[in-house]
Amino acid sequence: MLVVAALVVLAVLLAWPVPRALARATSLRRAPRAALVLWQSTAATAVLAALLAAPAAIPLLVGRQVRLSEHWVTLAVAAALSGVVAVRLLLSGDRVGRNLRTARRRHRDLVDLLGVPGEGADRHMRVLEHTTPTAYCVPGVRRRVVLTQGTLDRLGPDELSAVLAHERAHLGARHDLVMEFFTVVHEAMPGFLRCDDALREVHLLIEVLADRAAVRHAGAVSTGRAIVAMAGGPKPAGAMAMADSTRVATARIGLLDAERIAGLPIPVVAAMMYAVSAVLIATPLALYLGAIAELTLV
Amino acid sequence: MPSTPRNRLGDLERVVIEELWTTADAHPEGRTVREVHDAIGVERGLAYTTLMTVLDRIAKKDLVRRERDGRAWRYTAASTRAELTSESLHHTLGELAGDTRRTALLHFLDESTPEELDELRAALAELEARRPDEAKR
Repeated sequence: MLVVAALVVLAVLLAWPVPRALARATSLRRAPRAALVLWQSTAATAVLAALLAAPAAIPLLVGRQVRLSEHWVTLAVAAALSGVVAVRLLLSGDRVGRNLRTARRRHRDLVDLLGVPGEGADRHMRVLEHTTPTAYCVPGVRRRVVLTQGTLDRLGPDELSAVLAHERAHLGARHDLVMEFFTVVHEAMPGFLRCDDALREVHLLIEVLADRAAVRHAGAVSTGRAIVAMAGGPKPAGAMAMADSTRVATARIGLLDAERIAGLPIPVVAAMMYAVSAVLIATPLALYLGAIAELTLV
Repeated sequence: MPSTPRNRLGDLERVVIEELWTTADAHPEGRTVREVHDAIGVERGLAYTTLMTVLDRIAKKDLVRRERDGRAWRYTAASTRAELTSESLHHTLGELAGDTRRTALLHFLDESTPEELDELRAALAELEARRPDEAKR
Protein backbone atom coordinates (compact mmCIF):
# COMPACT_ATOMS: atom_id res chain seq x y z
CA MET A 1 0.00 0.00 0.00
CA LEU A 2 3.01 2.19 0.59
CA VAL A 3 3.74 2.02 -3.15
CA VAL A 4 0.35 3.45 -4.04
CA ALA A 5 0.66 6.23 -1.48
CA ALA A 6 4.18 7.03 -2.69
CA LEU A 7 2.96 7.37 -6.30
CA VAL A 8 0.16 9.70 -5.20
CA VAL A 9 2.56 11.83 -3.16
CA LEU A 10 5.08 11.93 -6.02
CA ALA A 11 2.42 13.10 -8.47
CA VAL A 12 1.23 15.83 -6.11
CA LEU A 13 4.78 17.06 -5.36
CA LEU A 14 5.70 17.25 -9.03
CA ALA A 15 2.45 18.95 -9.95
CA TRP A 16 2.41 21.61 -7.25
CA PRO A 17 5.59 22.72 -5.42
CA VAL A 18 8.28 21.47 -7.82
CA PRO A 19 7.28 23.45 -10.94
CA ARG A 20 6.92 26.58 -8.81
CA ALA A 21 10.41 26.16 -7.38
CA LEU A 22 11.90 25.26 -10.75
CA ALA A 23 10.40 28.38 -12.37
CA ARG A 24 12.28 30.47 -9.81
CA ALA A 25 15.62 28.76 -10.46
CA THR A 26 16.46 31.20 -13.24
CA SER A 27 20.19 30.42 -13.23
CA LEU A 28 19.35 27.04 -14.81
CA ARG A 29 18.48 28.98 -17.97
CA ARG A 30 22.19 29.06 -18.73
CA ALA A 31 21.98 25.35 -19.59
CA PRO A 32 18.72 25.51 -21.59
CA ARG A 33 18.84 22.03 -23.08
CA ALA A 34 19.43 20.26 -19.76
CA ALA A 35 16.89 22.53 -18.05
CA LEU A 36 14.28 21.62 -20.67
CA VAL A 37 15.00 17.92 -20.16
CA LEU A 38 14.55 18.43 -16.42
CA TRP A 39 11.22 20.20 -17.00
CA GLN A 40 10.06 17.49 -19.36
CA SER A 41 11.00 14.72 -16.96
CA THR A 42 9.24 16.57 -14.11
CA ALA A 43 6.02 16.82 -16.10
CA ALA A 44 6.27 13.28 -17.50
CA THR A 45 7.01 11.83 -14.05
CA ALA A 46 4.03 13.64 -12.52
CA VAL A 47 1.78 12.24 -15.24
CA LEU A 48 3.26 8.73 -14.97
CA ALA A 49 2.97 8.63 -11.19
CA ALA A 50 -0.66 9.77 -11.36
CA LEU A 51 -1.54 7.27 -14.10
CA LEU A 52 0.21 4.35 -12.33
CA ALA A 53 -1.22 4.99 -8.85
CA ALA A 54 -4.42 2.96 -9.36
CA PRO A 55 -2.86 0.17 -11.49
CA ALA A 56 -0.19 -0.31 -8.80
CA ALA A 57 -2.92 -1.21 -6.29
CA ILE A 58 -4.25 -4.04 -8.45
CA PRO A 59 -1.45 -6.60 -7.81
CA LEU A 60 -1.66 -5.82 -4.08
CA LEU A 61 -5.39 -6.51 -4.04
CA VAL A 62 -5.08 -9.59 -6.24
CA GLY A 63 -2.29 -10.93 -4.06
CA ARG A 64 -4.51 -10.34 -1.00
CA GLN A 65 -1.71 -8.45 0.74
CA VAL A 66 -4.10 -5.64 1.50
CA ARG A 67 -7.79 -5.70 2.22
CA LEU A 68 -10.05 -3.24 0.46
CA SER A 69 -11.89 -2.55 3.71
CA GLU A 70 -8.71 -1.42 5.51
CA HIS A 71 -7.24 0.78 2.81
CA TRP A 72 -10.27 2.08 0.99
CA VAL A 73 -9.29 5.75 1.44
CA THR A 74 -5.86 5.38 -0.23
CA LEU A 75 -7.36 3.21 -2.93
CA ALA A 76 -10.15 5.67 -3.64
CA VAL A 77 -7.68 8.56 -3.88
CA ALA A 78 -5.43 6.56 -6.22
CA ALA A 79 -8.34 5.48 -8.43
CA ALA A 80 -9.71 9.01 -8.62
CA LEU A 81 -6.28 10.45 -9.40
CA SER A 82 -5.46 8.01 -12.17
CA GLY A 83 -8.92 8.25 -13.72
CA VAL A 84 -9.21 12.02 -13.62
CA VAL A 85 -5.67 12.57 -14.94
CA ALA A 86 -6.19 10.11 -17.82
CA VAL A 87 -9.47 11.70 -18.89
CA ARG A 88 -8.28 15.29 -18.54
CA LEU A 89 -5.07 14.58 -20.47
CA LEU A 90 -6.98 13.03 -23.35
CA LEU A 91 -9.44 15.92 -23.52
CA SER A 92 -6.73 18.55 -23.23
CA GLY A 93 -4.51 16.84 -25.79
CA ASP A 94 -7.35 16.69 -28.25
CA ARG A 95 -8.36 20.32 -27.73
CA VAL A 96 -4.85 21.81 -27.76
CA GLY A 97 -3.78 19.75 -30.77
CA ARG A 98 -6.85 20.60 -32.80
CA ASN A 99 -6.74 24.32 -31.98
CA LEU A 100 -3.04 24.57 -32.74
CA ARG A 101 -3.41 22.86 -36.08
CA THR A 102 -6.42 24.97 -37.07
CA ALA A 103 -4.63 28.20 -36.17
CA ARG A 104 -1.48 27.14 -38.00
CA ARG A 105 -3.36 26.05 -41.11
CA ARG A 106 -5.18 29.37 -41.24
CA HIS A 107 -1.95 31.21 -40.68
CA ARG A 108 -0.12 29.27 -43.38
CA ASP A 109 -2.93 29.99 -45.85
CA LEU A 110 -2.63 33.68 -45.02
CA VAL A 111 1.13 33.99 -45.35
CA ASP A 112 1.16 31.89 -48.51
CA LEU A 113 -1.30 34.28 -50.05
CA LEU A 114 0.29 37.47 -48.73
CA GLY A 115 3.96 36.70 -48.64
CA VAL A 116 6.52 36.60 -51.39
CA PRO A 117 8.05 33.11 -51.30
CA GLY A 118 11.79 32.59 -51.15
CA GLU A 119 13.63 30.54 -53.72
CA GLY A 120 15.61 27.29 -53.55
CA ALA A 121 16.69 26.53 -49.99
CA ASP A 122 14.54 29.46 -48.79
CA ARG A 123 11.34 28.14 -50.32
CA HIS A 124 9.74 27.86 -46.87
CA MET A 125 10.29 31.57 -46.34
CA ARG A 126 7.62 34.22 -46.83
CA VAL A 127 8.22 37.97 -46.73
CA LEU A 128 5.24 40.08 -45.64
CA GLU A 129 4.91 43.68 -46.77
CA HIS A 130 4.92 45.34 -43.33
CA THR A 131 7.23 47.84 -41.68
CA THR A 132 7.22 46.35 -38.16
CA PRO A 133 10.28 44.13 -37.80
CA THR A 134 9.21 40.64 -36.82
CA ALA A 135 10.19 37.09 -37.62
CA TYR A 136 8.61 33.81 -36.63
CA CYS A 137 8.08 30.32 -37.86
CA VAL A 138 4.92 28.31 -38.35
CA PRO A 139 5.86 24.74 -37.39
CA GLY A 140 4.43 21.59 -38.85
CA VAL A 141 4.93 19.42 -41.88
CA ARG A 142 4.38 22.36 -44.23
CA ARG A 143 6.52 24.72 -42.22
CA ARG A 144 7.07 28.40 -42.89
CA VAL A 145 9.57 31.02 -41.80
CA VAL A 146 7.90 34.41 -41.96
CA LEU A 147 9.75 37.74 -42.07
CA THR A 148 8.45 41.24 -42.63
CA GLN A 149 9.97 43.68 -45.08
CA GLY A 150 10.73 45.81 -42.00
CA THR A 151 13.02 43.05 -40.74
CA LEU A 152 14.93 42.92 -44.01
CA ASP A 153 15.24 46.72 -44.04
CA ARG A 154 16.36 47.12 -40.46
CA LEU A 155 18.72 44.17 -39.92
CA GLY A 156 22.28 43.82 -41.16
CA PRO A 157 23.37 40.58 -42.86
CA ASP A 158 24.86 39.04 -39.67
CA GLU A 159 21.76 39.89 -37.65
CA LEU A 160 19.51 38.48 -40.33
CA SER A 161 21.48 35.25 -40.40
CA ALA A 162 21.12 35.08 -36.59
CA VAL A 163 17.34 35.45 -36.93
CA LEU A 164 17.13 32.76 -39.59
CA ALA A 165 19.34 30.38 -37.59
CA HIS A 166 17.06 30.95 -34.58
CA GLU A 167 13.92 30.12 -36.54
CA ARG A 168 15.54 27.13 -38.26
CA ALA A 169 16.54 25.78 -34.87
CA HIS A 170 12.87 25.92 -33.76
CA LEU A 171 11.73 24.11 -36.89
CA GLY A 172 14.57 21.60 -37.10
CA ALA A 173 14.36 20.49 -33.46
CA ARG A 174 10.53 20.57 -33.47
CA HIS A 175 10.44 22.88 -30.45
CA ASP A 176 6.74 23.24 -31.14
CA LEU A 177 6.18 19.64 -29.99
CA VAL A 178 7.98 20.32 -26.70
CA MET A 179 5.80 23.38 -26.17
CA GLU A 180 2.67 21.46 -27.17
CA PHE A 181 3.42 18.73 -24.62
CA PHE A 182 3.71 21.29 -21.82
CA THR A 183 0.61 23.14 -22.98
CA VAL A 184 -1.39 19.89 -22.96
CA VAL A 185 -0.22 19.01 -19.43
CA HIS A 186 -0.80 22.60 -18.27
CA GLU A 187 -4.34 22.69 -19.65
CA ALA A 188 -5.11 19.25 -18.28
CA MET A 189 -4.55 20.54 -14.76
CA PRO A 190 -7.43 22.16 -12.90
CA GLY A 191 -7.11 25.94 -12.70
CA PHE A 192 -5.86 26.15 -9.12
CA LEU A 193 -2.98 23.77 -9.87
CA ARG A 194 -1.80 25.44 -13.06
CA CYS A 195 1.44 27.33 -12.88
CA ASP A 196 1.63 30.00 -15.56
CA ASP A 197 5.20 30.84 -14.55
CA ALA A 198 6.23 27.28 -15.35
CA LEU A 199 4.79 27.46 -18.86
CA ARG A 200 6.43 30.84 -19.38
CA GLU A 201 9.78 29.52 -18.17
CA VAL A 202 9.63 26.56 -20.54
CA HIS A 203 8.82 28.90 -23.39
CA LEU A 204 11.78 31.11 -22.49
CA LEU A 205 14.08 28.07 -22.33
CA ILE A 206 13.03 27.10 -25.84
CA GLU A 207 13.87 30.61 -27.05
CA VAL A 208 17.24 30.50 -25.27
CA LEU A 209 17.96 27.17 -26.93
CA ALA A 210 17.22 28.65 -30.37
CA ASP A 211 19.37 31.67 -29.45
CA ARG A 212 22.25 29.24 -28.86
CA ALA A 213 21.91 28.04 -32.44
CA ALA A 214 21.91 31.67 -33.61
CA VAL A 215 25.08 32.41 -31.59
CA ARG A 216 26.86 29.42 -33.14
CA HIS A 217 25.84 30.70 -36.54
CA ALA A 218 26.30 34.44 -36.31
CA GLY A 219 28.02 35.19 -32.99
CA ALA A 220 26.66 36.50 -29.68
CA VAL A 221 26.79 40.19 -30.55
CA SER A 222 24.89 39.86 -33.84
CA THR A 223 22.30 37.68 -32.09
CA GLY A 224 21.97 40.25 -29.30
CA ARG A 225 21.52 43.07 -31.80
CA ALA A 226 18.90 41.05 -33.65
CA ILE A 227 16.97 40.43 -30.42
CA VAL A 228 17.01 44.15 -29.63
CA ALA A 229 15.87 45.05 -33.15
CA MET A 230 12.96 42.62 -32.95
CA ALA A 231 11.91 43.27 -29.35
CA GLY A 232 8.42 44.63 -29.05
CA GLY A 233 7.31 43.50 -32.48
CA PRO A 234 4.07 41.55 -32.75
CA LYS A 235 4.18 37.80 -32.57
CA PRO A 236 1.39 35.59 -33.84
CA ALA A 237 0.25 32.71 -31.71
CA GLY A 238 1.19 29.12 -32.38
CA ALA A 239 4.27 30.49 -33.99
CA MET A 240 7.66 30.79 -32.37
CA ALA A 241 9.03 34.24 -32.72
CA MET A 242 12.18 36.22 -32.30
CA ALA A 243 10.08 39.03 -30.81
CA ASP A 244 9.32 38.95 -27.12
CA SER A 245 8.48 41.30 -24.33
CA THR A 246 11.26 43.70 -23.55
CA ARG A 247 11.99 42.08 -20.20
CA VAL A 248 12.24 38.64 -21.75
CA ALA A 249 14.49 40.04 -24.49
CA THR A 250 16.77 41.57 -21.83
CA ALA A 251 17.00 38.23 -20.04
CA ARG A 252 17.84 36.44 -23.29
CA ILE A 253 20.66 38.86 -24.13
CA GLY A 254 22.23 38.25 -20.71
CA LEU A 255 22.19 34.50 -21.46
CA LEU A 256 23.88 34.63 -24.87
CA ASP A 257 27.41 34.20 -23.56
CA ALA A 258 26.84 32.63 -20.14
CA GLU A 259 29.61 30.31 -19.00
CA ARG A 260 29.01 29.28 -15.39
CA ILE A 261 26.10 28.39 -13.10
CA ALA A 262 26.65 29.11 -9.40
CA GLY A 263 30.41 29.06 -9.95
CA LEU A 264 30.37 25.67 -11.67
CA PRO A 265 31.10 25.10 -15.36
CA ILE A 266 27.85 24.71 -17.30
CA PRO A 267 28.54 21.10 -18.48
CA VAL A 268 28.86 19.98 -14.85
CA VAL A 269 25.50 21.50 -13.89
CA ALA A 270 23.94 20.15 -17.08
CA ALA A 271 25.18 16.63 -16.27
CA MET A 272 23.64 16.94 -12.81
CA MET A 273 20.32 18.02 -14.30
CA TYR A 274 20.36 15.07 -16.72
CA ALA A 275 21.05 12.71 -13.81
CA VAL A 276 18.19 14.13 -11.74
CA SER A 277 15.90 13.84 -14.77
CA ALA A 278 16.78 10.17 -15.20
CA VAL A 279 16.21 9.40 -11.51
CA LEU A 280 12.89 11.27 -11.57
CA ILE A 281 11.46 9.37 -14.51
CA ALA A 282 12.76 6.04 -13.16
CA THR A 283 11.06 6.50 -9.78
CA PRO A 284 7.39 5.88 -10.68
CA LEU A 285 8.42 3.05 -13.00
CA ALA A 286 10.48 1.40 -10.25
CA LEU A 287 7.63 1.79 -7.76
CA TYR A 288 5.17 0.22 -10.19
CA LEU A 289 7.49 -2.65 -11.08
CA GLY A 290 8.04 -3.19 -7.36
CA ALA A 291 4.30 -3.61 -6.88
CA ILE A 292 4.13 -6.15 -9.71
CA ALA A 293 7.17 -8.04 -8.37
CA GLU A 294 5.42 -8.52 -5.03
CA LEU A 295 2.54 -10.22 -6.82
CA THR A 296 4.78 -12.70 -8.63
CA LEU A 297 6.61 -13.51 -5.39
CA VAL A 298 3.40 -14.54 -3.64
CA MET B 1 11.36 26.96 -56.65
CA PRO B 2 10.67 23.45 -57.95
CA SER B 3 7.37 23.68 -59.77
CA THR B 4 5.36 21.02 -57.98
CA PRO B 5 1.61 21.17 -58.64
CA ARG B 6 1.04 22.52 -55.12
CA ASN B 7 3.55 25.35 -55.61
CA ARG B 8 2.05 26.19 -58.97
CA LEU B 9 -1.44 26.40 -57.47
CA GLY B 10 -0.04 28.51 -54.63
CA ASP B 11 1.49 30.94 -57.12
CA LEU B 12 -1.78 31.12 -59.03
CA GLU B 13 -3.73 31.77 -55.84
CA ARG B 14 -1.56 34.80 -55.22
CA VAL B 15 -2.00 36.09 -58.79
CA VAL B 16 -5.77 35.61 -58.59
CA ILE B 17 -6.29 37.33 -55.25
CA GLU B 18 -4.01 40.12 -56.42
CA GLU B 19 -6.36 40.61 -59.37
CA LEU B 20 -9.39 40.67 -57.03
CA TRP B 21 -7.68 43.23 -54.78
CA THR B 22 -6.61 45.58 -57.57
CA THR B 23 -10.03 45.54 -59.22
CA ALA B 24 -12.05 45.67 -55.99
CA ASP B 25 -12.83 49.38 -56.36
CA ALA B 26 -13.82 49.16 -60.01
CA HIS B 27 -15.89 45.99 -59.45
CA PRO B 28 -17.37 46.06 -55.95
CA GLU B 29 -19.93 43.46 -57.07
CA GLY B 30 -17.08 40.95 -57.60
CA ARG B 31 -15.74 39.13 -60.64
CA THR B 32 -16.84 35.95 -62.31
CA VAL B 33 -14.43 33.17 -63.25
CA ARG B 34 -14.87 34.23 -66.89
CA GLU B 35 -13.81 37.82 -66.10
CA VAL B 36 -10.79 36.67 -64.07
CA HIS B 37 -9.87 34.33 -66.89
CA ASP B 38 -10.10 37.16 -69.44
CA ALA B 39 -8.03 39.45 -67.22
CA ILE B 40 -5.19 37.15 -66.22
CA GLY B 41 -5.80 33.69 -67.65
CA VAL B 42 -5.65 34.27 -71.38
CA GLU B 43 -2.20 35.86 -71.47
CA ARG B 44 -0.84 33.11 -69.18
CA GLY B 45 -2.38 30.38 -71.28
CA LEU B 46 -4.42 29.10 -68.33
CA ALA B 47 -7.52 26.99 -68.80
CA TYR B 48 -10.84 28.36 -67.58
CA THR B 49 -11.21 25.31 -65.36
CA THR B 50 -7.82 25.95 -63.74
CA LEU B 51 -8.99 29.37 -62.58
CA MET B 52 -12.25 27.85 -61.39
CA THR B 53 -10.24 25.39 -59.26
CA VAL B 54 -8.01 28.15 -57.90
CA LEU B 55 -10.93 30.40 -56.93
CA ASP B 56 -12.68 27.42 -55.37
CA ARG B 57 -9.58 26.65 -53.30
CA ILE B 58 -9.26 30.21 -51.99
CA ALA B 59 -13.00 30.28 -51.25
CA LYS B 60 -12.65 27.10 -49.16
CA LYS B 61 -9.97 28.89 -47.12
CA ASP B 62 -12.48 31.70 -46.47
CA LEU B 63 -10.18 34.20 -48.14
CA VAL B 64 -12.64 35.08 -50.90
CA ARG B 65 -16.44 35.28 -50.75
CA ARG B 66 -18.71 34.21 -53.56
CA GLU B 67 -22.28 35.00 -54.49
CA ARG B 68 -24.60 33.51 -57.09
CA ASP B 69 -25.16 35.69 -60.12
CA GLY B 70 -27.45 33.84 -62.48
CA ARG B 71 -25.61 30.67 -63.40
CA ALA B 72 -22.16 31.97 -62.42
CA TRP B 73 -20.46 32.78 -59.14
CA ARG B 74 -19.13 36.27 -58.42
CA TYR B 75 -15.99 36.31 -56.29
CA THR B 76 -14.79 39.13 -54.02
CA ALA B 77 -11.76 39.17 -51.72
CA ALA B 78 -12.99 38.68 -48.16
CA SER B 79 -10.54 41.23 -46.73
CA THR B 80 -8.09 43.75 -48.08
CA ARG B 81 -4.40 42.94 -48.20
CA ALA B 82 -3.75 45.30 -45.27
CA GLU B 83 -6.44 43.62 -43.14
CA LEU B 84 -5.04 40.16 -43.82
CA THR B 85 -1.47 41.26 -43.08
CA SER B 86 -2.63 42.77 -39.83
CA GLU B 87 -4.57 39.60 -38.99
CA SER B 88 -1.57 37.41 -39.61
CA LEU B 89 0.61 39.57 -37.38
CA HIS B 90 -1.91 39.75 -34.56
CA HIS B 91 -3.29 36.27 -34.04
CA THR B 92 -3.47 35.93 -30.30
CA LEU B 93 -2.76 32.86 -28.27
CA GLY B 94 -6.21 33.18 -26.72
CA GLU B 95 -7.83 32.41 -30.06
CA LEU B 96 -5.32 29.69 -30.61
CA ALA B 97 -6.09 27.88 -27.39
CA GLY B 98 -9.81 28.57 -27.79
CA ASP B 99 -9.77 29.78 -24.23
CA THR B 100 -10.05 33.41 -23.22
CA ARG B 101 -8.50 32.81 -19.81
CA ARG B 102 -5.17 32.23 -21.44
CA THR B 103 -5.10 35.32 -23.61
CA ALA B 104 -2.58 37.03 -21.38
CA LEU B 105 -0.37 34.00 -21.13
CA LEU B 106 2.67 33.74 -23.38
CA HIS B 107 1.35 36.77 -25.12
CA PHE B 108 4.26 39.10 -24.83
CA LEU B 109 2.83 42.08 -26.64
CA ASP B 110 2.63 44.29 -23.57
CA GLU B 111 3.84 47.80 -24.14
CA SER B 112 7.42 48.35 -23.08
CA THR B 113 8.17 51.14 -20.64
CA PRO B 114 11.12 53.49 -21.34
CA GLU B 115 12.95 51.93 -18.35
CA GLU B 116 12.57 48.45 -19.84
CA LEU B 117 13.93 49.68 -23.16
CA ASP B 118 16.90 51.27 -21.34
CA GLU B 119 17.60 47.98 -19.58
CA LEU B 120 17.42 46.15 -22.90
CA ARG B 121 19.93 48.51 -24.51
CA ALA B 122 22.17 48.34 -21.44
CA ALA B 123 22.19 44.53 -21.65
CA LEU B 124 23.29 44.73 -25.28
CA ALA B 125 25.97 47.32 -24.46
CA GLU B 126 27.33 44.99 -21.74
CA LEU B 127 27.41 42.09 -24.17
CA GLU B 128 29.27 44.22 -26.72
CA ALA B 129 31.72 45.34 -24.05
CA ARG B 130 32.44 41.71 -23.11
CA ARG B 131 33.11 40.86 -26.75
CA PRO B 132 34.88 43.84 -28.30
CA ASP B 133 36.23 41.86 -31.27
CA GLU B 134 32.78 40.77 -32.39
CA ALA B 135 31.25 44.16 -31.71
CA LYS B 136 33.62 45.92 -34.12
CA ARG B 137 32.39 43.93 -37.09
